[in-house]
Amino acid sequence: MLATFVITWRETIEAALIVGILLAYLRKIGHQHEFRYIFVGAAAAVIASGLFAGASSLATRLVEWIGEELFDALILLAAVAVLTYMVVWMHHNAREIKGELLSKADQALARRRLWALGTLAFVGVFREGVETVLFLWGLLLQAGPVANVTLQVAGGLGGVAVGVVMAWLFFKGFGHLDLRPFFKVTGVLLLFIAAGMLSSAVGRLIAGGWLPPLIEPLWDSSWLLNERSLIGSLVAGFFGYRSHPSLLELLVYVGYFPLVLFWLRKEHHDLAQ
Amino acid sequence: MACWLPGACPAWADQELALTIKHHQFEPSEVRARAGEKILLKVTNADSTPEEFESSALNREQLIRSGHTVTIHLPALKPGSYEFYGEFNPKTATGRLIVE
Repeated sequence: MLATFVITWRETIEAALIVGILLAYLRKIGHQHEFRYIFVGAAAAVIASGLFAGASSLATRLVEWIGEELFDALILLAAVAVLTYMVVWMHHNAREIKGELLSKADQALARRRLWALGTLAFVGVFREGVETVLFLWGLLLQAGPVANVTLQVAGGLGGVAVGVVMAWLFFKGFGHLDLRPFFKVTGVLLLFIAAGMLSSAVGRLIAGGWLPPLIEPLWDSSWLLNERSLIGSLVAGFFGYRSHPSLLELLVYVGYFPLVLFWLRKEHHDLAQ
Repeated sequence: MACWLPGACPAWADQELALTIKHHQFEPSEVRARAGEKILLKVTNADSTPEEFESSALNREQLIRSGHTVTIHLPALKPGSYEFYGEFNPKTATGRLIVE
């Protein structure tokens, strides 16, 4: 039971962090009424996960056709795009929030923001959602004593439940920060998550033979921290840590930060005009 | 590079290894490869439940649905023993790639 709990819990860590930060962000700018966009995004992801986990639906045939690795890479890249947009957006917004009334321009931007929030909640949950649904469904399908199967499924569902609780904890925790520290902390965290997802996408493309690893493995740091351990799972989920990364994944990970900072600086400069 | 014209492309790797997941175990549980050459690892899931092939030593993590086969591209490796396991059944699905 613990084994299945740990498996599903690890799948939900990143999504919990993303959803928690998004909810806290809305609360910070006084837009709690927009929570539902996050919930709809997450719920849509759960439904989509079910569709893509199905035995032979249009969705699974699509995955079969383009290949699992490419499919995973595309989901991750979509998440990186929206996450980056969110970070730049939040940074821009941090300067504007002082209880001002929304002008017409703000309202248009607000609609775009809602789309971004909903999409981010969606990809955050969908990323591991398909895997989690497949895993849980597999647990149900297996033969064996009913008591055993029930315990395993209960453990698996428990892992998901704790993930939801974690999202709430992140929401509460980050909510306690003052405005400026909040945007700094969550901005940095989201950047690290995006960098991790980007290098994961590259990792998928390497596994599928589309990209060369350059040097693999670049190092072996499993003696220091292994992805399988509890702390290792958290560090891997939040920061994209790998014990045997390839050079290309590392380059992409490290290269992501200056690119975003350049974009942030450019936005800042444009606003100052 | 992935090849879009089957039969008209040069082989990506000279070594092709095959693994099958059956009864939540890898068959065979030990595969061998030559060092210094790229490896194409084909894993088929013959079970009725999904499995995730995972190896931190090989830096690969791949979900494999029931009845599907995935092709994992591995770089040229140094001699050694590289452990892998099935994340959904880690107690029974274990194996290693021995490179020599």
